[in-house]
Amino acid sequence: MTFSGEFLAFMGLALVALIGGVLLLNLTKVVHMVVALIFTFVAIAGIYVLLSAEFVASVQVLIYSGAITIIMLFGIMLTKHDDENEPKTGKLRKLLVFLGILGFAFAVYIGIYNFNVEQEQTALHENNTMQIGKALYSKYIIPFELTSVLLLAALVGSIILAKNEKKEADDE
Amino acid sequence: MIEELLQSSPGWANFAIFFLLGAVLLLIVLGFVTYGILAERKVLGYMQLRHGPNQVGGKWGLLQTVADVLKLLLKEDIIPKAADKPLFIIAPMIAFAPSFMVLATMPFTDKFQFADIGVGLLYYIAVSGLTVFGMVLGGWASNNKYALLGGMRAAAQMISYEIPLVMSVLGVILLTGSLNLNEIVTHQEHGWFILLQPIGFIVFFIASIAELNRTPFDLPESENELVAGYHVEYSGFRWAFFMLAEYVYLFAMSALITVVFLGGWLAPFSFLNFIPGAVWFALKFSVVVFIYIWIRATLPRFRADRLMEFGWKVLLPIALANIFLTALLKSLFF
Repeated sequence: MTFSGEFLAFMGLALVALIGGVLLLNLTKVVHMVVALIFTFVAIAGIYVLLSAEFVASVQVLIYSGAITIIMLFGIMLTKHDDENEPKTGKLRKLLVFLGILGFAFAVYIGIYNFNVEQEQTALHENNTMQIGKALYSKYIIPFELTSVLLLAALVGSIILAKNEKKEADDE
Repeated sequence: MIEELLQSSPGWANFAIFFLLGAVLLLIVLGFVTYGILAERKVLGYMQLRHGPNQVGGKWGLLQTVADVLKLLLKEDIIPKAADKPLFIIAPMIAFAPSFMVLATMPFTDKFQFADIGVGLLYYIAVSGLTVFGMVLGGWASNNKYALLGGMRAAAQMISYEIPLVMSVLGVILLTGSLNLNEIVTHQEHGWFILLQPIGFIVFFIASIAELNRTPFDLPESENELVAGYHVEYSGFRWAFFMLAEYVYLFAMSALITVVFLGGWLAPFSFLNFIPGAVWFALKFSVVVFIYIWIRATLPRFRADRLMEFGWKVLLPIALANIFLTALLKSLFF
């Protein structure tokens, strides 16, 4: 195996992503979990950069790490956030879960180890922003427009919900 | 040079070179922050008919900020008893790290740039959005109602003003056809984008002040209602990190405006080409910084409810109309 800089970067990012994920499950305070989640999202964006998908990486940081986690933080801070995790479950269950994980890891290992991916020359990494734009507006125009209609409907719906609340508050 | 380094095989020498380059950039930025703060205090002083710092380091107070930083370093490090300790410690770091990361794609001159990536502009906006976590988490971890309010305001304000910020540069992106900062600069050879995109520039400038949390948009740390906002409980070096992040963003945002709207390192007229690009960049950059300071000295603070209305009902529609207009003009004339 060649010990290239790309490999080092991948190992670092993958480690951060995994540790973030594990911490997300194991921490007890909800806000700490969100911080772990941010690290995972950013590390995944880094892996996208390694795959030459710069545009996807930026959007990942902008949408997932930026917008979505902020909304989660808002939700947590403005509601009851003192809740700690429920007590841990019994030993038998832990053992079963561990066996399940081992089995899963073994199955995935067997599946991946001899999995032959045909290497194909592509030009996807050059100007990938432009390529994404072209694909969205020519080949995938109908799904794209449908998504925008869906988002618009969600936006209108949220505005109506927020307005109703205000009216009720005024009536009281 | 950087391109070659990025493609060469890894090793300790390589690591050392990158580390050194990063450290040099950090020192440059720290130098800017030191004298940027002094310049701000001096300009604010003269605008308010006083002298500003004039004791430490000669008539111009040249060592004032150095002394201030030294004081902050020597100050006792206080972590409140009821604070969420790990978050309290990590929050200033989360606030500062992205502010330095955004500088990586900034083309200071045609040769002095660290990473020439295809989506430079988007990268800046995406990464700079991460700082708000530092502020929110710092405010929350302090376990103080003023800090929490400040953190909340910071999050709401930065998320809302990020949208007009992105929408207003879309006009520039439409005209250039690229997100790459180098291409944006070279495209301005026959006219800066401030002339081609005046509406976009004004919206971008206003939104950028809000992103920088400077007066008139300094609601997250407004001292007369929230004491000091999200960093009330911070002192000493941790507090210095929040301030550092703020001023590094001032550096980065001024550089970004120079690159996107003022033609970066290009000379305004071709007969002035003999003056090196770095000088032009520095001149334009200083003008932008001065305007930021000027605005701080002259405008009062926004009201919290007006802030959101202004962002969503004024800036966003104008930015959208600007995109529409630009697309129309581009398809008609370019």
